[in-house]
Amino acid sequence: MDTVIIDGLSFALPLFIIAIGGIYSEKSGITNLALEGFQGFGAFVGALSAVLIAHTSGIGVEHLFYVALLFSMIGGMMFSIIHAVLCIKFKADQVISGVVINILALALTTFLTAQINVLVFGQASDRFQLGVSDRFTIEFLANIPVIGAAFTNIYPFEIIIVIIACFAWYLLYKSKFGMRLRAAGENPHSVDAAGVDVSKVRFSAVLISGLLSGLGGMCFAYSISANFSSSIYMGYGFLAIAALIFGNWKILPTLVACLIFGFAKSGGSAIAMVMELPSSFTDLFMTLPYVLTLLLLIFFSKSNRAPRALGEIYDKGKR
Amino acid sequence: MDKDKRKLNLSKIIFKPIRNEKWQPITIPVVSIVISFIAAAIVILLIGKNPLQAFYNLLQGAGIMPKPAYAGYKSMLTDFLSLLNAMTPLVFASLAVAVALKAGLFNIGVSGQMLVSGFIATIIVGYSGLDAIIAKPLVLVVGFITGGLVGGLVGWLKYRFNINEVVSTIMLNYTAQYIISFFIQMYYIDPLSRQSKYVSEEARLTLVNVEMANLKMDIPLGFILAIVVAILLKFLLDRTVVGYEIKAVGANRKAAKFAGINVGKNMVLAMVISGGLAGLAGVTYYLGYYASIQPKVLSSMGFDSIAVSLLGNIHPIGIIFSSFLVSIIDQGSTYMSSQAGIRQEIASVIIGLILLFSACGAYLKHKASQLKEKNVDRKERRS
Repeated sequence: MDTVIIDGLSFALPLFIIAIGGIYSEKSGITNLALEGFQGFGAFVGALSAVLIAHTSGIGVEHLFYVALLFSMIGGMMFSIIHAVLCIKFKADQVISGVVINILALALTTFLTAQINVLVFGQASDRFQLGVSDRFTIEFLANIPVIGAAFTNIYPFEIIIVIIACFAWYLLYKSKFGMRLRAAGENPHSVDAAGVDVSKVRFSAVLISGLLSGLGGMCFAYSISANFSSSIYMGYGFLAIAALIFGNWKILPTLVACLIFGFAKSGGSAIAMVMELPSSFTDLFMTLPYVLTLLLLIFFSKSNRAPRALGEIYDKGKR
Repeated sequence: MDKDKRKLNLSKIIFKPIRNEKWQPITIPVVSIVISFIAAAIVILLIGKNPLQAFYNLLQGAGIMPKPAYAGYKSMLTDFLSLLNAMTPLVFASLAVAVALKAGLFNIGVSGQMLVSGFIATIIVGYSGLDAIIAKPLVLVVGFITGGLVGGLVGWLKYRFNINEVVSTIMLNYTAQYIISFFIQMYYIDPLSRQSKYVSEEARLTLVNVEMANLKMDIPLGFILAIVVAILLKFLLDRTVVGYEIKAVGANRKAAKFAGINVGKNMVLAMVISGGLAGLAGVTYYLGYYASIQPKVLSSMGFDSIAVSLLGNIHPIGIIFSSFLVSIIDQGSTYMSSQAGIRQEIASVIIGLILLFSACGAYLKHKASQLKEKNVDRKERRS
């Protein structure tokens, strides 16, 4: 039971932060299928900087976790500029732009990882070894039955994510910026009439989504995979999109969706372990989060409503 | 003033070829392809290699240009045939994406539909030992029906329960991937290759190692079908009521409803066709290009096909050309990396760049028309 909660949380929270990024972008009216690419590219930049710093300074890579986290956010943000420019300045189709960015991210990072490994480290490898970040337990909370597991063996990034998520919630729902952002996705003309530059609001929303996705990608790289390689493109970004649509483009219901994913995933593998089934049966349990989501959606998606101006190119002259 | 003039001249060079609106559907992709090859050339120069030689090697590897030497039983023709072999599933998959897009739906689950129909066709026909004359058509039929059912399910979920097709297709992708992996590992695994057992030669849609004129070639039977299907699809979309209704639903759902078009039926129908085409992609991939299925791996073709479809302007004939181009880069990359010493991964970077620049097509179009207006203005002022 404890492992279900521990593993579930460490999967759900990075997913959640990527989904929050997606909510920001989509609430502002920019469809964002590029989350997958953002998180991968962010993780690439983070991993690259960690490996490079470790190489020059001699500090172990596993201790450079926070540095990597910082750089991954910067990397994700830099890469998201492409999406923002394409969608806002060049008025490209937002779905097309998103798909293209995913393909480009995978191609670029795979190519650069191999190339840099040869040029800088002189070895033929398609990955950057990172190791798993340290974990810690909050002793006095961990003793509470059941809930205590949530405070056992936590990755430091889980705390960071919770803090950032709280701030993101505040920014989106309680601040002037958040109000304008949400209005830009519902009725951009009214935002314009109020004297606010719609393009700027949307641009910053996409940058935020890149930043948060980069963070999420790095967390996956430092926990589940323990390295950076093209296997980071496992579909976490798409899963996050599914979660945010499931959560009806709202932050708290999205958290619930992510937790369902996380616990269904860890729960599935725990059941397979307990029942001592052969390893191929774990595949069947791995479908649990996805089937569950589909079933839940059948009951809950009637009332789902996307932001009204989502995917529309903002045209000042249009009425 | 002088600087302004120079700037105008430069933009004239870029925009001149795309000024004619009638040819824009063709000129804009061509211009973006040229720009991306220039960008790729810069990348290759930065690594310190000769880009022209690299591009020539790509063509050589894909069987468009002759290589200096060939191994036994190989020639330019065999290379070209394997290019077509690899291209066949891509054409089907891109057509699948295009049909859904025409109806305003985004079928991101082509990979999953490919896998399901490939798997079902493998276990029903691939291991059955039927004669080629029955087995091959049966594979196609089974593939189309299976894919169509999966696609139809997505359309129905969207229509009946308002489930966003992006979410449901992603969920089905994963579900299919894991369940099929389970069945392969339990019942159909080849212990040596760690893949599913090979399908029989009779059921395979590619004739492998056919000896003819002292060559051993792979003949992709599905390729002819792919071309025929593309033409049929163009006919369906442009010249029939079904196509008109699907496009109307895609253009404006509400308007279509007021016009008396059954939106739900058309959405499901579009997804059935889309899924069916994805199914054909699946059988030409898993029972043609390959002859087995690797468990737990979802082919990336489903995602690439979205981009290929867009590069081809979501037009069935355009898709044939765009998948031809992408397949050349893909197939030629191995030879290029062995000859020019450039990493094979650069091929996908080039493809990514092409797609990136073609995504800017709308902007180019907009700029071109703007420039035209400016010119007209200037002429009027002068006269």
